[in-house]
Amino acid sequence: MTAGEPVLRVEGLSVRFGGHLAVSDVSLDVHAGSISGLIGPNGAGKTTTFNAICGVTPPTSGRVLLEGQDLSRASTHQRARRGVGRTFQRLEVFSSLSVADNVRVGLEIRRGWSRRRRPAPQFLTGPDAFDLDADAEVDLIVDRLGLTELADVPVGALPTGSARKVELGRALAARPRVLLLDEPASGLDDRETDEFGVLLGELAAAGLGVLLVEHDVALVMRVCSELSVLNFGQVIASGPPAEVQSNHAVLDAYLGGRDDAATVAVTAAEAGVAIHPGEPGAGR
Amino acid sequence: MDKFLTFTIAGLSSAAIYAIAASGLVVTYTTSGIFNFAHGAFGMLAAFTYWQVNQAWGVPTIPAVIIVVFVAAPLFGAVVERVIMRGIEGASEVVKIVVTVSLMVALLGLAQVIWPPDVARPVPPFFEGRFVEFVGVRVPWSRLLALVVAALVAVGLRLLFTRTRLGIAMRAVVDDRSLLQLNGGRPGRTAMLSWGLGAALAAVSGVLYSTEQTLSAVTLTLLVVNTYAVAVVGRLRSLPGAFLGAVILGLAQSYVTGYINPELTVGPIALGNLAAALPAIMLFTVLLLQPEARLRSHSVVRPRSPQPVPSQRTALLGGVALVVVLAALGSLMAPADLILVTKGAGFALITLSLVPLTGYAGQISLAQMTFTGIGAVAMAAWGAGGSPLAVAASIAVCAVIGAVVALPALRLSGIYLALATAAFALFCTAMIFNQQQIVSGGTVQVPPLSIGPFTADTDFRQLVLLAVVFAVVGNLLVWLRRNAWGRRLAAMKDSPVACATLGLNLTSTKVGVFALSAAIAGAGGALAGRSFTADSFSLPASLPVTMLAVVGGIGSIAGAFIGGLLLGAIPIASTVFAANAIGVFRFVSIPVRDVLAFTPGMMGISLGREPDGAAPQIAVGYRAVGRSVPALVVSVVGAVTLWLATRFGLVARWSFVAALLVFVVAAVPLLPLVLSPRTPEDTAEPPRRTACGLWLLVATVAAAFIPWVDLVASNGVRIVLIVVLAALSARVAIGVLGVTPEQLRRPVAPSPDLVGVDRPLLRTDALEATRGLGLSEDEFEAEVDALRPVGVER
Amino acid sequence: MTEPLLELRGVRAGYGSIEVLHGVDLVVPPSAVVALLGPNGAGKTTTLSVACGLVQPTAGAVLVAGRNVVGVAPEVLAQRGLVTIPEGRGIFPNLTVRENLQMATLAGTPLSQVEEVAFGRFPRLAERRTQVAGTLSGGEQQMLALARGLAVDPAVLMLDELSMGLAPLVVEELYGIVAQIARSGTSILVVEQFARTVLGVADVAAIMVNGVVRRVGPPDEVEAELSSAYLGG
Repeated sequence: MTAGEPVLRVEGLSVRFGGHLAVSDVSLDVHAGSISGLIGPNGAGKTTTFNAICGVTPPTSGRVLLEGQDLSRASTHQRARRGVGRTFQRLEVFSSLSVADNVRVGLEIRRGWSRRRRPAPQFLTGPDAFDLDADAEVDLIVDRLGLTELADVPVGALPTGSARKVELGRALAARPRVLLLDEPASGLDDRETDEFGVLLGELAAAGLGVLLVEHDVALVMRVCSELSVLNFGQVIASGPPAEVQSNHAVLDAYLGGRDDAATVAVTAAEAGVAIHPGEPGAGR
Repeated sequence: MDKFLTFTIAGLSSAAIYAIAASGLVVTYTTSGIFNFAHGAFGMLAAFTYWQVNQAWGVPTIPAVIIVVFVAAPLFGAVVERVIMRGIEGASEVVKIVVTVSLMVALLGLAQVIWPPDVARPVPPFFEGRFVEFVGVRVPWSRLLALVVAALVAVGLRLLFTRTRLGIAMRAVVDDRSLLQLNGGRPGRTAMLSWGLGAALAAVSGVLYSTEQTLSAVTLTLLVVNTYAVAVVGRLRSLPGAFLGAVILGLAQSYVTGYINPELTVGPIALGNLAAALPAIMLFTVLLLQPEARLRSHSVVRPRSPQPVPSQRTALLGGVALVVVLAALGSLMAPADLILVTKGAGFALITLSLVPLTGYAGQISLAQMTFTGIGAVAMAAWGAGGSPLAVAASIAVCAVIGAVVALPALRLSGIYLALATAAFALFCTAMIFNQQQIVSGGTVQVPPLSIGPFTADTDFRQLVLLAVVFAVVGNLLVWLRRNAWGRRLAAMKDSPVACATLGLNLTSTKVGVFALSAAIAGAGGALAGRSFTADSFSLPASLPVTMLAVVGGIGSIAGAFIGGLLLGAIPIASTVFAANAIGVFRFVSIPVRDVLAFTPGMMGISLGREPDGAAPQIAVGYRAVGRSVPALVVSVVGAVTLWLATRFGLVARWSFVAALLVFVVAAVPLLPLVLSPRTPEDTAEPPRRTACGLWLLVATVAAAFIPWVDLVASNGVRIVLIVVLAALSARVAIGVLGVTPEQLRRPVAPSPDLVGVDRPLLRTDALEATRGLGLSEDEFEAEVDALRPVGVER
Repeated sequence: MTEPLLELRGVRAGYGSIEVLHGVDLVVPPSAVVALLGPNGAGKTTTLSVACGLVQPTAGAVLVAGRNVVGVAPEVLAQRGLVTIPEGRGIFPNLTVRENLQMATLAGTPLSQVEEVAFGRFPRLAERRTQVAGTLSGGEQQMLALARGLAVDPAVLMLDELSMGLAPLVVEELYGIVAQIARSGTSILVVEQFARTVLGVADVAAIMVNGVVRRVGPPDEVEAELSSAYLGG
C-alpha cells in the first residue's frame, strides 16, 4: 500500500445519460507506483468511468484530481498533457499507420506540447532518459512490448492482442503520470498475459500509477494492490484484493442474498470477484 | 407602425416558407443520417414543374399543386433514396456530402437545360388580388396561406411522428436499424418514405417561394443555405428548433430590408446586400453558441484502403516532368488553346488545396473558389506590378480568414464545416464580390507575378509559373505528409479520440489544415494573372471543384491534378462544341454545353453507387495509372498525340471525340496491367498483355481515322454510337486480357508471407505451415490455439 | 424427435475477409430451449445474426421448419415468426415504452394484443408506458424486450446475452419467463457467455469455441466441459 497523496483521485463522479445513471458517485484513488483494479460485470460503468476521468464524456457531477490539481474543467487533450494516459476497450488504434508510426505519433504529439521535458519511464530507457532521440525512443518502446518484428506492419492488419500492445506503447510514448488500461489483456494468450503482468509491475515500479479494468480475474488478483468493485455504476466494495475477496457482506449485497454455492461462484466470477483463491477465475 | 407591421407579416410569411423547407431537411437528416444539400434543388425542381404544369400546360391550380406536391415530388424523393442514397449508407461523411452536393449541381444543371434561364417564368401568387385588412395593413391571402401551411406542417409532422406507426418506425430506424428489421419493419421502405416526405416538403416551400419571389433556378437551389442556417438552431435534428430559427431569420431579413438604407456603407461595403448575407451571419452565430461536440469513439465508417504516399523522389520527378511536359505542350499550342490549358492548370492548383484538407484530414470545404476570389481580390488591390510580397500577403490573408471561418465549425462534427463554408461562400458573394467598390464592373484583374527580370505577362509564362507552383506545392504536401504532421493527420482520421487522449488539440490541428488549404486556394487566385468574373467565386462555382477533386481521387496529388484537368476540360469542351447540339429523336435539342454543365454533378453522384470511387474497375485502373510511370507516360502521350493530330487536321473533330473516349474509357484504365512487368505470382492464366495492348491500339486508331462519323447525320446518334463504341472496346479489351483489374487487385491466393498480416491467422493456416515444415501436428495444436484472433466477433 | 424448427448446417460467415464461423451445425427442436454457450469471441452472436438473417452466410444453409431461408430478409423472417432479441437490450432507447410496443406490431400482431400481454405480464411497464425506454432500468428494458417476444407469440425466439449487466435476481426472474414462453410451445435459442445462468432452463446445451460448435448435449453432461472451453484448450 502506498501512503501519501494519490496521483489520481476521483471524487463523487456521476455520469448520467438521459435518465440513465451510468456512473453514480464513484470515488477512487490511484497511487503512484501501484496498480489499482476496477472490476465489475459488463455494463457496470467501468468504461464510462474511464471516459469521465479522461474527459471524453462530461460527468454530471464530481471531480477528478491529478496530483492534487483539479482537472474537472480541462478538456481531453489538456488532461492528457497533464499526464492522464489511457487505452481503449474497443480498439482505437491508427489502423492505417504502422506499429512504429502509432508509437511515433504518440511521441510526436507529446513533443508538440511538452515544453518541460518529463523523464521517460526508466524501465524503458535506463538512467539517461532525457537525451533520447525520437527514433531511439520509438524503437525502445516497440522492442519493450515485443513488437519489433511487426514494427512496419499496418496496425489494422494485426490481431487484437498485438493491437492492444500497440495502444499501450502509444500511451507510454506520451509519458503519462497515470495510465488507465481498459481490458488490456483481452486477446492475449496465457503466456502473453503473464508477460503483460510482469510489464505492468515494471511500469508501477517505475513510478507510474495504473488503473486497470480487466476481466481476467487471475491477472487482477496477481498485480493489483487495491481493488474497487463496480456494479450498477456504484462502487460496492473497495480495498486490498484479499479483503474484497472475503467480504461476505459485499457478496451478499451483490448476489441478492443467495447462498447457493455454485451460483455464487459463477456470478462472482462474472463480477470479477474470486471467492476462493483456488477457484479458477472464469471471468472471460 | 404600419411599416413595422407590414415587414413583420412579410418576415413571418418567409419564415413560414423557411420552416417548411427546414422541416423537410430535418426529417430526411434525422431519419436517414444523410444531410441533403440538394434539398433546395428539390424545391427548385418542384417549383419549375409547377410552372410547367400550371402555366405552360394550363392545368388549374389545385390539380397542379396536387400533381407536384403529392405525386411528383414524393416519387422523386423516393427514387433518389432508392437509386442514390441507399448506396452511401455507412460511407464516410465526405462521400455523403459530395454525393448530395453533386445531386444539387446536377439538378441545377438539368433545370437550366430544360428551362433555359433567359426566359422569364412568372408564377402568379395563390389567391391573386385578395387581401385581408389587418390593423390597417393590407395582407395578401398568399402570405396567410404560407403561415397556415406551415402550421399544418408542424401539426402534421408532430402527429406523424408520435401517433402513427409509420412515423414511429421512422424514428426507430435512427435508434437501431437492424432492430427495426428484427421487429419486422422495413428500413429501406421507411427511408424511401422519409425521403419522399422530405421532397414533398421541399416542393411545398419551393412552390410557395416561387409565387412570392421570382422563379430562378439558382436562387431556389441556394435557398438550401437559408434552410440549414435555420435548421442549425435545432442542431439539425429538432423540428421546434428549426421553426424558431425560421422565425428569427425571416423577421431579421425582413427588418433589414425594411429599415437599413441600402446606400449605407461600412468602409467599402454597401449594406444593400446585407439581407443576403444574414443566413451566413446567423449560422456562424449559432455555431459559436453551440457547445463543443462530444468525442465519438469508433465512428462507424466503412474501412477504406489507405492511400499510398509517394516517395519524395517520385514526387520530385513527377513535378519536374509536369513542368517540362506542360512547357513543351504550351510552346506548341495555338493562343486560344493555351489560354484554356493555363486556366486548367490554375484549377489544378485550386483542387490541390483540397488534398491536405479532404484527402489527409478528412474534412470538407465547399468554398475553395471563395478563397481563390479573396486571394485574387487582395492581389488586385495590393499587387500592382506583380510584387511577390503582395502575393505572400494575399495568401496570408486567405490563411487567416480560413482559420477564422473554420474555427467555429471545426469544434463540431464534419457536416458543420460543409455548412459553414457554403454559408461563407454566400456571405462573400454578397459582401465582397458583388460590391461595386471592391469588384468594379464585376471583374477582377489579377496582375501577373513579377520576380526580378521574370514577369508572367504572357500566357505561356503564366502556364509555366502555374506548373512550377503546382509542382512545388505538391512536393511540399508530400513532404509534410511523410513527416510528423502527416502522420498526425492520418492518426486523427483513424481515431480522433485516441489523439485527444494523447494530448493533441484536435480543433487547432484541423484549423491549421484548413488555413493551409485556404492559403493554397488563395494562391490559385493571387497567382492566376488573369481576369475573373465575380461569378467564378460564387458557391455554384466552388461546388464542382470539391466534387471533381473527390472524384479524381483526393488522397493523392495526381488525383488533384486529374480533378483540375477535368474541371479545366469542361469549359474547353464547351467552347469546342459551342455550336453543336444533341438532338434526341427531334423532340428535344440539348446544346452540348448544357450537357457538360451537369456532367460534374453526374460524376459526383456516381460515387453513390461505389463510394470508394467511380465504377470500381475503372477507378482501380485509373488509380493504378497514377502509380505506374509507363502507364502515365503512355496515357499522356496518347492523348496529346490525338489532340495534335486533330489540331493539324489529320483527324476529324468527331473522330477525335470518338478516339479520345475509346482511349480514356478502354485503354487508360487497362494500361497499368498491359504495361506492368510479368511477376512470378501471376495467376494460373496469365493476362494476355500483348494482345490486349494491340487491340487497344487498333481500336483507338480505328476510331480516329475511319471517317465513319460523316456517314451519320445526327449528332445525337453520333454521341450514342461513340459511347457504345467506347464501352464495347473496353469490354473486348477486358475479354482479351482475360482478367479484370478488380481481380488482379485482390490476388486469388494470398502470399503465405502475408497471412496473419492481411488477415488473422487461422487454425488451418498454422496447421498447413506445420505440415509444410514436417512437424508433428499434435505438438502444435496448443500453439495454434494461442494464435487465434480473439474478439473478432462483431 | 420431429423436424427441427431451426437448423444451421455447415454455416460459414464472417465480416469482410475475417471468417468467424467455420462451419456451424446447430439444431433447435420444437418446444425446446437450446443454450448456445462459449467464451467471448467464439462466434455466438454471429451465429445468431446469421440465423435471423442480418448476416449472410458465405456457405451452408439456414433451415426454418425445413425450408432454406438463406437470403431472406430479416424483416420477412420476423414476420414469419422468428423473433430475435439482440445483445444489449432489444429496445429503441429514444422511443417511449408504448411506441416500442407499437414497433412490435410490425410483425403483424395487433397493438391491443401486444399491450394486453406486455402489461399483463409486466405491470411495471404499464406504469411507465409514456416513459422513454432509454431511461428505464436495465431489468425493465429487458422486460420490454421480452414483452415483444411474449406478445407476438413467435415460433422461434432467439435471445442474445439476456443477462448482460443485470443483477442475478433479475436474471433469474427473466429466465423464469423464458421457461414459461418455452412451455407455451415456442422453440428458444439462448446465447450466453456465462453459462450456468441458463443451464437450469435449457433442454440442450451447445458449446461453441473458435467458430465451431464443439459439443452438444444435455446440460448436465455438457457442464463438465465448460471450464475447458472457457479457459482455452
